[in-house]
Amino acid sequence: MTPATSNRQGWRQRASGRVVLPFMTLLLIALTLGMAQLEPLFRALFPDLGNPLYARDSFLNLMLAHIGLVLVSSLISVTVGIIAGLFVTRPAGREFEPMVSSLAAIGQTFPPAAVLAIAVPLAGFGFAPTIIALSLYGLLPVVQNTIAGLGTVPQATLEAARGNGMSRWQILRRVELPLAMRVIIAGIRVSVIINIGTATIGSTVGAKSLGTPLIAGLVGNNLAYVTQGALLVGLLAIVTDLTFERLERRFSFGG
Amino acid sequence: MIELQGLTKTYAGKRVVDEISLTLDSGEFGVLIGPSGCGKSTTLKMINRLIPLSGGRILLNGEDIATLPVEQLRRRIGYAIQSTGLFPHWRVAQNIATVPQLLKWPKSRIDDRVDELMTLFHLEPAEFRDKYPHQLSGGQAQRVGVARALAADPEVLLMDEPFGAVDPLTREVLQAEMRRVHRQTGKTIVFVTHDMDEALKLATRIALLDRGRLVQYDRPIELMVEPANDFVREFIGEADLGLKLLSRRWVHQYQRPPQLGAEGAGDDALSATSHRWQCDADGRPLALAGARLDDAQRVTEVTPAWTATADMSMKEALSRMVWYRVTVLPVVDADGRLVAEIGMAGIMGLAAPPATGDNA
Repeated sequence: MTPATSNRQGWRQRASGRVVLPFMTLLLIALTLGMAQLEPLFRALFPDLGNPLYARDSFLNLMLAHIGLVLVSSLISVTVGIIAGLFVTRPAGREFEPMVSSLAAIGQTFPPAAVLAIAVPLAGFGFAPTIIALSLYGLLPVVQNTIAGLGTVPQATLEAARGNGMSRWQILRRVELPLAMRVIIAGIRVSVIINIGTATIGSTVGAKSLGTPLIAGLVGNNLAYVTQGALLVGLLAIVTDLTFERLERRFSFGG
Repeated sequence: MIELQGLTKTYAGKRVVDEISLTLDSGEFGVLIGPSGCGKSTTLKMINRLIPLSGGRILLNGEDIATLPVEQLRRRIGYAIQSTGLFPHWRVAQNIATVPQLLKWPKSRIDDRVDELMTLFHLEPAEFRDKYPHQLSGGQAQRVGVARALAADPEVLLMDEPFGAVDPLTREVLQAEMRRVHRQTGKTIVFVTHDMDEALKLATRIALLDRGRLVQYDRPIELMVEPANDFVREFIGEADLGLKLLSRRWVHQYQRPPQLGAEGAGDDALSATSHRWQCDADGRPLALAGARLDDAQRVTEVTPAWTATADMSMKEALSRMVWYRVTVLPVVDADGRLVAEIGMAGIMGLAAPPATGDNA
């Protein structure tokens, strides 16, 4: 790719990001606050339903609860994941790399519904078991990308850092982490997006989220509820994804 | 001053560096050279303790390096490597400022030093300060790498095949710059290469290594004239020994005063061995009458392509004579004025004034 085309593509991406992200964010806020205003539309779309608008809780409350679940679980995934990734890439922890990688992989292959089923007897209903399931589920991309990101730092760069008299901590903070940050953020992005979708199943064990109208709609055969919940979850995922895309670009050094 | 005393490195029972002892005085340009696997890079990396010693010791200005905290030691020793190892997320100025920042110099002093070094390496600060490494050419990146190594005014500069990955043309330019920088800064340099021409061009001392052992440690000319054994002779390469010798001789050692002539005067007396320079009012050479074997009467216009400078090697001077088919070259100063001439007699090692030794 010549610099000219990459510049043009970069420009197009930035331009679309400038338009799409604010538009999607506005749409998300508008729908969260004003879903009730769309009642005539849902009534027209689903004429057979007596009650085509989910009204047991406000969508704002559901949205905030959903974001809360994702934030807390992602914070745990990211903290544990990065620390684990850092540990196994240091000389002292290198032996543990295969073990940590497979543990994280098991965390993801285990269906969140199954984790919920196990976690409920241990942690009770509601918020806590959902957080456990989501944190485990979101761990793998963070661990994997932390290891991969640190692995992309060129050997010559590390040798130069050592040869110029940087301490291990200085090398990590000034060289390795900044250079790996783009890949690490890409991992966090995947982890968070997965969890935005997966958080909906928390509603099956009583955690309030955007999954609540979804589950209610599925149980009560109310497609309108399902649409409303799914619409908001989808928009939230898109907005989050676009935000991360911007963040990642900030750590691109072109080299 | 660097002293290696019985330096040894063992990997899995095999000695890759075997009892190397040598002393490099301050201000010398020492080159470690030898075939692949001879231990030259390992030796270099033991000096800044990137590789731990198995035996022996290294003294830096009389201090045993093993007694110094390793990061402090490395900040006293500049380090430049083949792939530059520039930090891709830092701009040129910050890359150069690496060690001064670690040493917590005040910002104004760092800025001044960065500008000074960029100017030393002919990188216009205004243009290059804020570039990222991926925006630089190979030669520019390598200059930044060496500038970074020199930034904190280290006692010693270590260079591990720094010009191995750049194109031949750029390498020549960088080698010439390295000679100049060495002359201007007077730094003690330890330089690793496998290229004998590069070693002969740069070194004031050459250490030839083979399978971990020091075979010969000498001045470049002595290495050529008095090789210790057949390995040295073969490694230097006997085929173009004469040319290699010329690459260690400098125009200023063999130049003589120019034969000036008035325009058009005495043309009939010209031959292959007599000639006249014609200069303009400022003393810049315009044309050379004579000094051609093909046509003794011919007047050759002087172009910058075949003028010599005082710090040019005799090898390059000879090359220009051959290419432009003249038996004498004008030696010009920085302003392009004719200060001397260099001819075939100089190539043969006959200096007009007595030779001043071979280390320029």
